[in-house]
Amino acid sequence: MRLARGPLTIGEPAPDIDVRLSGAEPYRPDAIADGGTAFGLVVRAASVRGLSKRFAGGPRQDDVCLRVHDASRMVIAAVADGVSGAPRSALGAALAVRHATAAVARQLDGGAGELDWRDVFDQAAWALVEEHRRFAGKPEAGVEETCESLATTLVVAAVRAPDDGTAGARVQLAAVGDSPALVLSGGAFSTVLGTPGDGLLGAGVEALPRFVRGVCEAECTLEPRTILLMCTDGLALPLAGGAGEVGRTLARELATPPDIIDFARLLDFSRSTYDDDRSLVAIWP
Amino acid sequence: MYFVGDESHSMAGDAIGAVNQGLIDLRDEVAKHPLIGKKVRFGIITFADTAQTRLELSELNEDLILPTLAPRGRGTSYSSALDALRQTIPGDVALLKGSGYQVHRPSVFFLSDGQPTEKEDKWRSRLDELKDPGFKERPNILAFGVGDADATVIQQVASAPRYAFMMTEGSSTAGAIAEFAASMLNSMVSSAERLDRGEQTIEFEKPEGFVQLDAPLV
Repeated sequence: MRLARGPLTIGEPAPDIDVRLSGAEPYRPDAIADGGTAFGLVVRAASVRGLSKRFAGGPRQDDVCLRVHDASRMVIAAVADGVSGAPRSALGAALAVRHATAAVARQLDGGAGELDWRDVFDQAAWALVEEHRRFAGKPEAGVEETCESLATTLVVAAVRAPDDGTAGARVQLAAVGDSPALVLSGGAFSTVLGTPGDGLLGAGVEALPRFVRGVCEAECTLEPRTILLMCTDGLALPLAGGAGEVGRTLARELATPPDIIDFARLLDFSRSTYDDDRSLVAIWP
Repeated sequence: MYFVGDESHSMAGDAIGAVNQGLIDLRDEVAKHPLIGKKVRFGIITFADTAQTRLELSELNEDLILPTLAPRGRGTSYSSALDALRQTIPGDVALLKGSGYQVHRPSVFFLSDGQPTEKEDKWRSRLDELKDPGFKERPNILAFGVGDADATVIQQVASAPRYAFMMTEGSSTAGAIAEFAASMLNSMVSSAERLDRGEQTIEFEKPEGFVQLDAPLV
């Protein structure tokens, strides 16, 4: 019996290419996958390198991070998309998701009910500034310079598992940039955070640290049989609001939580012209 | 992406030869690259005293037959080219969207070897229409001047000063045009996202309670 091989094709397949090893400093694996259950919430997370990076040998510039906070029965998730024009943004994305989830956890340690998102994003943005100062050997380097090197979007969610007997998980979310949060319910996708754009692509990307004051916040309740999704535009673009082939495939495959590795495999679907890095966190209440 | 090229008589000889060769090389390079071809639609508009669409938006693949540019007409009308762009872009974008594509803001690569031989107001007002913030599909314009092109004019045609390029003293026109073609290829290959520069710098200081994380990163 052979292992099933290769990605799922949705629509016109992407071309077959020779994948180049990235192997740069810091080490960024081509694909990561995570998942498991906490307080009854089922979580899957994956981040995969896009074909254009695989062809060029560049690093994955997206990242995800998950955190469990036992005392408040919460799962914290963050997704970030390093701006490809900023040369160290792979590291920027990695720092942003780790510092943001840590900042939320610290607030929860302090007994916070409502999160102070400004603080969370300040911490994430500052981590980028500190890293740039360290790397460049410039203790006074500012936001502008940091952006050129480490800019990244960031979307963060804190999901509180319902207490026994009550349905619905309360979700607090915030974001800077074009990595959205959506809810999938009954096969339909609705945007909780992010702009379902109808215009042209290619406007400049709003990103940390520059847009640290441009945080958008939202809250929602995740009812049973709905799924919270956070992703980078590497997925949001082919998803295109969810009405097309990609939406139908995801809705079908996510009806029940896939195996951890299968989830990453699903995210890595083959579809012509969509060759950007992709990341996705899915949470089933 | 639109190549908008000068076909006025001053381009005769090496210059127009370099343009034609540059277009062929561009097509061949894109055809070889496994990923770009499907992501780009390339069109050609030429101008002398009038503008002509020589290639409707097409995929750059090995089957594509490119037009051969040749000097024609009398004069150099920037306004005709700028107007042609303003007229054709909305329909082109709509067509692509209608076919189910998500479309990036169009790029225009504009090449001229001479100054416009028309009243300044005429080409300026067409340029303003093309660059009007109210024009939803307004393109990013990169402008290249070779030969007798005017640096100030080239700078104004471009969307921003950093998108204006003049041939350097002592280099050949043909060489400069080959570089121009290479830059068209480059912009297709490197799809690096631009940072939104925002309006002002912000003051940002170390937040209270900032904690460094200890563990090395994965």
